[in-house]
Amino acid sequence: MERGHPSAATLGAFAALLAFGAVPYAASGDWTLGAAAALRHDDNVGNAQSSSDIVGDTAVDARLSIFQLFPLDESYSVTVGGDLGGEAFRRLTGLNNASLDGALALKRKWGLGAFVPWARAGASVGRSSYDDSYRNAWNYRATLAAGRRADERWNLWAEYAFERRAARSQAEEVPGVSGDAFSQTSHNVAANLEYSVNENAFLALGLRGRHGDVVSTTRASKRIYYASRALADDPAFGPDVYAYKLTGTTYGVRIGVNYAPTPHSLLGCGFERFDTHADGGNRYTKSVSEITWSYRF
Amino acid sequence: MNRLLAAAAGLMLLWGALPGHAGELRVRVKDQRGKLVADAVILAVPLDAKNALRAKPPADAVDQVDKQFVPYVKPVFVGAKVRFPNSDHVRHQVYSFSPAKKFELPLYAGTSAPPVVFDKPGVVVLGCNIHDWMVGYIYVSETPFFAKTEAAGTAAIEDMPPGEYTVRVWHPGMEHSEEATARRVTLNADGPSSIEWELGLKPALRVPRVSGAASSGYP
Repeated sequence: MERGHPSAATLGAFAALLAFGAVPYAASGDWTLGAAAALRHDDNVGNAQSSSDIVGDTAVDARLSIFQLFPLDESYSVTVGGDLGGEAFRRLTGLNNASLDGALALKRKWGLGAFVPWARAGASVGRSSYDDSYRNAWNYRATLAAGRRADERWNLWAEYAFERRAARSQAEEVPGVSGDAFSQTSHNVAANLEYSVNENAFLALGLRGRHGDVVSTTRASKRIYYASRALADDPAFGPDVYAYKLTGTTYGVRIGVNYAPTPHSLLGCGFERFDTHADGGNRYTKSVSEITWSYRF
Repeated sequence: MNRLLAAAAGLMLLWGALPGHAGELRVRVKDQRGKLVADAVILAVPLDAKNALRAKPPADAVDQVDKQFVPYVKPVFVGAKVRFPNSDHVRHQVYSFSPAKKFELPLYAGTSAPPVVFDKPGVVVLGCNIHDWMVGYIYVSETPFFAKTEAAGTAAIEDMPPGEYTVRVWHPGMEHSEEATARRVTLNADGPSSIEWELGLKPALRVPRVSGAASSGYP
């Protein structure tokens, strides 16, 4: 296990420098800046099944984003951008992390105006750096999304995403069993619905589906061991705790209420519930509650 | 001295006898809860056709500032040429699907877009194809006597010939038809006339500028 030295703090400082350096340019160019923050409680951070293994924690998340929209013609536009963020946990400080992402997306609208169908294809690559650096990873994401705003009140869109998280393989805890527990591949689908109550408030409902690798952090367990494809020491959760990589399917639902106090900002609170069925009869649930704030210049 | 007084009295008589000595209509608009209403368009249509002056409509402009149309509501006289300068650093693509004027200005920056002639009375809803939340209104008036209420809910139409008018109000959020607000008003030359409306307004509903049901989940 490595305790990260040039990890979160270094990357965070570099990213902040980059962001603040970009502000004057963004202010005089076509760039759009955004900022977001969240206070989030996850009642099962380690994705554990047994109540004795379940660890809940609260984290603060902050994110700065910068992007530019290039309209190509009446139908197509390209968005280029990136964001940097940081996440700090109250108890599980080894999970504190900073991340830097770059993204590219091509959007097509079928017609003119706010109420026509659209589709978007995008890709992003990012680097996450943790206080416990064995979790450091490159994150790759490819998305296809489509949707339509029916009117000022109803907005509907769906998304498919392929995600690849590439972490460095850890030392084998058990000879012959891979230590690459933190690298994951998954297929994700989501359907989202927004309903505007009035000019400043809207409700959000999201349905989620995910199939692929999941990481469950527990104490040593034969049942999960036999079902796992990789395992590694996971000291961010304490001593004698292991991260097991399994294949699983997750179903989730999210509800949220959002309020825009100004045209540029949005306050929200949301609740998400996930139910994961993994190999070997391993099943876990988690709930995530959050308060969010976002601002777009 | 007497000559001077006589000349002054003569001028006053002449001024009073001139046809069309200007009057003024002052209006105030409130909503159903008594709140003063901004961005209401007041239109005064003279019953006597000769009072409907056919002045050349002035050139007008609707700017785009901070990815919003400014002003939000712009009344113009029919035939007006309206420019759409873009004061933002990003390009806009202004369009309207309204029956009173369908048009589209391809992507542009600065002041390069040609003016649009609004030659048919009615409401024109403006949008931007790039920024879905942008919405604005041009009210194309068939009468040269119109005004828009300010934040205090008040407006004044000046330089109106005395006579009878049908006065009505339009607002983007009004519950009922514009015709239902019509009133007959007689305007005299001896002072401004005041009139007040109470409009039923629906809660405003617009495409939100900041949106997104972001997932926090990492299963």
